[in-house]
Amino acid sequence: MIEPAIAPQPRLEWQLAEVRAIVVETPRVKSLLLQVPAWQGHLPGQHVDIRLTAEDGYQAQRSYSIASPPEDALLTLTVERLDNGEVSPYLVDDVRVGDQFELRGPIGGYFVWTVATRGPLCLIAGGSGIAPLAAMLRHRARRKVRAPTLLMYSSRSLEEVIYGEELDAMSRGDSDLRLVNTLTREQPEGWTGYRRRIDKAMLAEVGFPPEQHPKIFICGPTPLVEDASRFLVELGHPFPTIKTERFGPTGGLAS
Amino acid sequence: MAGSPISRGFRSRRQEQTPRNRVPPGQYVTTDFPVLSAGPTPQIKVEDWTLALQLAGSLLGKWSWAEFEALPQTTIKTDIHCVTKWSKLDTTWRGVTFDDLLKGVGLAEPPTPYVMAHSDGGYTTNLPVADLINGRGMIVTRYEGLPIPPVHGGPARLFVPHLYFWKSGKWVRRLRFMEKDERGFWESLGYHNYGDPWKEQRYDGD
Amino acid sequence: MTENNSVLFLDGNAAASLLQEIFVPDISIAEIRCVACGFASSVGSLRLYAASMGAVLRCTHCDGILIRAVHTRHGRWLEMTGARHLRF
Repeated sequence: MIEPAIAPQPRLEWQLAEVRAIVVETPRVKSLLLQVPAWQGHLPGQHVDIRLTAEDGYQAQRSYSIASPPEDALLTLTVERLDNGEVSPYLVDDVRVGDQFELRGPIGGYFVWTVATRGPLCLIAGGSGIAPLAAMLRHRARRKVRAPTLLMYSSRSLEEVIYGEELDAMSRGDSDLRLVNTLTREQPEGWTGYRRRIDKAMLAEVGFPPEQHPKIFICGPTPLVEDASRFLVELGHPFPTIKTERFGPTGGLAS
Repeated sequence: MAGSPISRGFRSRRQEQTPRNRVPPGQYVTTDFPVLSAGPTPQIKVEDWTLALQLAGSLLGKWSWAEFEALPQTTIKTDIHCVTKWSKLDTTWRGVTFDDLLKGVGLAEPPTPYVMAHSDGGYTTNLPVADLINGRGMIVTRYEGLPIPPVHGGPARLFVPHLYFWKSGKWVRRLRFMEKDERGFWESLGYHNYGDPWKEQRYDGD
Repeated sequence: MTENNSVLFLDGNAAASLLQEIFVPDISIAEIRCVACGFASSVGSLRLYAASMGAVLRCTHCDGILIRAVHTRHGRWLEMTGARHLRF
């Protein structure tokens, strides 16, 4: 029996997370696998806040999507190194297994999907926006639920596709999961897939038609998210079926 | 913050070599120009743009873009300081001083002690006129020699660099003289009413 | 929220931390109705502006301001004059 999803009550106390493993995903992206002792669970799509404190007391706080499914014992955060960032270079270049930092959450029951939700699932990701959608896909795989699912994933090059092998393996083993990559800057020789930014034609070719009432989740840089959601509305998908999460710096330093 | 465990090896990258006497307390220097807006960027056509000075519901003066560009132009090179802690040094701006706006409507001095600057999109910020006269405040239209891009407040923004940069309202369209001080957008939501970076007046209560 | 915050997300989800410190149930799934145009959205779907100064959340339909929130060392401010109601 698949229980309906109830988001855990938001817990906003800071807890201590310890890095148990580090996975190199791409040249600029690493996943940190964290042990959070009093973790009460989360739903796929939710995020956490983390807080770093320097020796002089200086603090920086950032939000990261949880990339791991609730079925995993450790929490996975996937971080892309932003060149002018303050926190991401530390998390990607400096953090070692055994390091600890403060974490709170899970936060945000809005951008959530679980296997209890019926109907086709349409996931659209750009770059590191794949993280919360990966939590949804991993949850779907662990629960062995064959909801018809599409992942459309835009990356600059094959090398920059995060979780590339895992996603390929997932879709090879599951005829109900379609994986469509588009590589916008550089394509390997013999590449037969899309080579451009996600546009209306691509979504029309590959996406679920509106009559199938897919639940749609879009996550990535603001231009991709705004364009994709606009195209989907133009293709006939009702606005409330489209949930978005925009990544991007917001007026302070880049993260 | 008391009691937070130290994150091994983490340090603020903001500890750069900065000329301390030019940088107010708690600020760090950036070479970027971060964009911070309270709403979507208005797309304003200069053919439709006007700037007005108002007093108690009546119009003291109004300029079209062409008329505004024909006013005496002043260029200034100075530092700007954002309350979110970044400072940008040696930025060059060109526009019309508040003094020249007053002259343009035939006033020798401001008619009231305070001004509210109103912007396209609804943003407001309040200032004492003392912080606008004697060259302290301008309406600027050029940044580094080029028209100010819309995301940075173009075609024209208020420019009051001796205060935190939220006081330099983007997309300014109207300066309303006030007898009594009223708090603007951020000032009415926890930010300091005056905003002197050298006294670190970021928040109401500082 | 510390003074040095700069969030990665640009949706109402990003303001979730700031607002969640004030509300007990999950604020991102609360329904909010715009006074100006009557449109109802989830707080999580609203567009967030000025995140490094606080949160300005705007209606997805008319861009009117629904929620403004700031957290400083002196306290928290919350203004919701643009919202007709919040429903949890």
